[in-house]
Amino acid sequence: MARQGDNLWYKDAVIYQLHVRTFCDSNADGIGDFAGLTQRLDYLQDLGITAIWLLPFYPSPLRDDGYDITDYASVHPSYGSLEDFKTFLTAAHNRGIRIIIEMVLNHTSDQHPWFKEARSSRENPKRDWYVWSQTDTRYEGVRIIFVDTETSNWAWDPISKSYYWHRFFSHQPDLNFDNPAVLEALWEVMKFWLNLGVDGFRFDAIPYLVEREGTPCENLPETHAIIRDLRKRLDLAYPGRMLLAEANNWPVDIRAYFGDGDEFHAAFHFPLMPRMFMSVKLEDRKPIIDILEQTPEIPDNCQWCIFLRNHDELTLEMVTDIERDYMYDEYAMDTTMRINRGIRRRLAPMMDNDRRRIELLNGLLMSMPGTPIVYYGDEIGMGDNIYLGDRNGVRTPMQWNGETNAGFSTADPERLYSPVISNAVYGSQVINVDSQKRSEHSLLRWMKALIQLRNSFQVFGRGSIRFLNPSNHRVLAYVRQFGEETVLVVNNLSSSAQAVELDVRRFKGYIPIEMFGRNLFPRLGDLPYLLTLGPYQFYWFQLRQI
Amino acid sequence: MPPLFVDDVVGSFRIQQFESEISRALAENTFLTDDLLRQLMGVGEVDLLVGISSHGDASTTSHTLRAIERSFQQYFTRQRAVIVDVCGGGKDEGGAAAAGLSNVAEKNVRLAESASLRTVHRVTGDFSAPPSPGMALRTILAAADLLRARACAVVSPGTLNLAPDWIANLLRPVYQGKVDFVAPLYTRHKFQGLLARTLLYPMSRAIFGCRIRELYSDEWGFSGRLAAVCLNQDVWHEEPILTRPEAWMAISAISSDFRCCQVFLGQKLQSATGSGTNIVEVFRQTVGNLFWCIESHQSAWLDGERSKPGQTFGPDPELTSEPTDLNRHRIFEMFRSGVTELEPILSSILDLETHAEIKSIVSLEENKFKFASDLWVRTLYDFVASYHHTVINRDHLVQALVPLYRGVTFSFLVEHFDSSPAEMEAVSEGLCLEFERQKPYLKERWKAKVEVKS
Repeated sequence: MARQGDNLWYKDAVIYQLHVRTFCDSNADGIGDFAGLTQRLDYLQDLGITAIWLLPFYPSPLRDDGYDITDYASVHPSYGSLEDFKTFLTAAHNRGIRIIIEMVLNHTSDQHPWFKEARSSRENPKRDWYVWSQTDTRYEGVRIIFVDTETSNWAWDPISKSYYWHRFFSHQPDLNFDNPAVLEALWEVMKFWLNLGVDGFRFDAIPYLVEREGTPCENLPETHAIIRDLRKRLDLAYPGRMLLAEANNWPVDIRAYFGDGDEFHAAFHFPLMPRMFMSVKLEDRKPIIDILEQTPEIPDNCQWCIFLRNHDELTLEMVTDIERDYMYDEYAMDTTMRINRGIRRRLAPMMDNDRRRIELLNGLLMSMPGTPIVYYGDEIGMGDNIYLGDRNGVRTPMQWNGETNAGFSTADPERLYSPVISNAVYGSQVINVDSQKRSEHSLLRWMKALIQLRNSFQVFGRGSIRFLNPSNHRVLAYVRQFGEETVLVVNNLSSSAQAVELDVRRFKGYIPIEMFGRNLFPRLGDLPYLLTLGPYQFYWFQLRQI
Repeated sequence: MPPLFVDDVVGSFRIQQFESEISRALAENTFLTDDLLRQLMGVGEVDLLVGISSHGDASTTSHTLRAIERSFQQYFTRQRAVIVDVCGGGKDEGGAAAAGLSNVAEKNVRLAESASLRTVHRVTGDFSAPPSPGMALRTILAAADLLRARACAVVSPGTLNLAPDWIANLLRPVYQGKVDFVAPLYTRHKFQGLLARTLLYPMSRAIFGCRIRELYSDEWGFSGRLAAVCLNQDVWHEEPILTRPEAWMAISAISSDFRCCQVFLGQKLQSATGSGTNIVEVFRQTVGNLFWCIESHQSAWLDGERSKPGQTFGPDPELTSEPTDLNRHRIFEMFRSGVTELEPILSSILDLETHAEIKSIVSLEENKFKFASDLWVRTLYDFVASYHHTVINRDHLVQALVPLYRGVTFSFLVEHFDSSPAEMEAVSEGLCLEFERQKPYLKERWKAKVEVKS
């Protein structure tokens, strides 16, 4: 459980990521809402998660799943009211669950009043809140992110007869952070939510805040200055709140966003995620070791956030071309599964619904350095629908039971914001919370035990990691240490039984205690420690000196 | 202990004898060291295996290892791969240290910076027997068999310009499932490799029916299937196998109807310490080896037909025509003196008619001398038949061929000094056909009952 009053709470957290729309519909309109989510907080508390990261719930035309905001200080009417949010926030806090919300700094919707004003005339005071140009050749060479839909980072505005800059969809104009008024306006937004009691912000699309000619317009020093400014204000006025960076970059570039501990508290470790999948498919620890060896040290008050799947495609930006081809070939042979530079699938289908592999990956997620983020539905092994377009296939309604609409809503099925998964393998009749609650050996029960175990030891969130290098490359073994806590983790990445000899001489005399069953194993000595592991099996050993 | 009766004593003796046999058998079957086995356990099943015999020479091994690793990075990023470095009695700690591999576990698992998706393993093997190419190959084959390698290659640290694409070319035809044995082809100077051109290639081609130009090479590829078959042959204590096992492997593949091919690798630069330059030693290792292979695989060729063209990947082998510094006069003199000295031995090896013809050409003036193709072929067939019948000590027999080969070399150099590469190729093909034409003569002599002269 996250320690209350601890400003480093995000280091010990297990974060659950969800979209209000997808979780529970309380008013039978086919769309999840805050009232419904509040009703399901007991479930999340029971699961053991300690924080919820909410995807955007602001008013929006919803052309980019809510990342196209038209009002930063309100709630989309489909999800309820601001009062509903406050009720939810209080209920979550009462259960020891912290709330992290989205902060989309980089851009607004083109329907946002700020942009409407800005485009209305070149003389409008809001004009300079966005990035305009008379040509589409400024910042030439800057990469296009949504390569499947966009052909330029500039879009023509027929109203003011100028081009405006957008790094994402053309209906999402970028804000101009060279104008100090923009930062002040966004700080006011942050204060609004902080005053309500939210515990942290996930800053979306951070590398792209500032543009400069002759640069890639990413990760610029000016962007870091903005983050430092906001962090300083936050620490002064709201200590104990957290900023989480979304920067899909290499670890060495992301490292800059921690600054000297004075920028972000936490950042996603994007490159690690595909390499966990790659390691399991290759049956080789090399991809994981390689990327973690490239991962620089971060300040003590900072943390990596790690994840397996999320609401977006499984991004393959931070891999080599060879690695990307491999991932496509192994996990997305059907090209329908691919979008942009990634794979739009959920965890369970990617693992061919192999319980052993799902457990192994979750075991890795919970034992690697960083704060784990569980994407809603993955704790029960929900499937996806790759035919829904964009990334909506991984954003289908939460499957609560085997009844109509999977217990998500009492609306007519046709009215749901998205069809429920209904196939024979992953359909709600088969995969749902209620049935898994009843089964002692369900994935849900197993996940709950895993999370509880992780929550019992600070070493997972705060400890150092030291890799062992047994000659068997199919085995990934590491020691986590924090204070008096020492944990040895041994993972068999392969589909067949493996023997491994571990050099654990430095722990000579320690007794390994298998953490799930609390069983004692033979004491460690001078000789290589021999273990055998079944297919995809993993051990967590607490090493105790008794 | 209770007193033993006679039966007990006999029984005890038998048990001891049995245990002794078991121990001997186990010793033979467990030539892999525990250390190597432990390393192989860590590697697990692989797709590709490349073996080298480093002989403790760190300076050349590091180049070879880099080439192999680059080959894996460039051409086989997804495949499970291992390098088996057989030290042959002199484990190369220097090489390991040079690669920054501090301990056994580390050095087995990680090489230098690698773009491969997978771990590229390097295992270092040693064996208790005296170091030899045969034992090195046996160790590599055993590793390939245990690791269930699909495609394997053996390369030599003595090849100075070993390139990543060479290794890929050797592995790819096997990995793609097209063949089981891959022989190399090199760019040669027109007078380079005369022994292969005038003896080894045409003779092996005629006898075994498979056109492999470079039977005796330092690089070749093979399948895991072939590795398993060769490993299980009871030949590993034979002298020809210990010294030059590569041709035996090729001939085993041909004889067992494995699919064979050749790949063009390019021009080869070899270290001075690589192959021996002593012609007698070269003969013992290659010609002696070929004769032994002919003997040991007789069931495969005695009823065989004419050779058929095999599959060749890459461009045709090239001949270059730089000037040669071979001293023709000296070669001729050595031919003449050698034949004269060995007259009694040659008379026991050669057919009467062949012997007479040899004697007649020895007396020719240098400027009129010519060693005709048909005589050369008949001479060789007499030699190999005599080898089969063991008319004299086999090693002596092989050595006795050296002066005659010098005669052929001299004749070849004189006759083709100004020939173009294309003309040289035509001549070589003609010689091959002559070998094939006279094959019935060999069979006849092979099957004939021979009285061995004391």
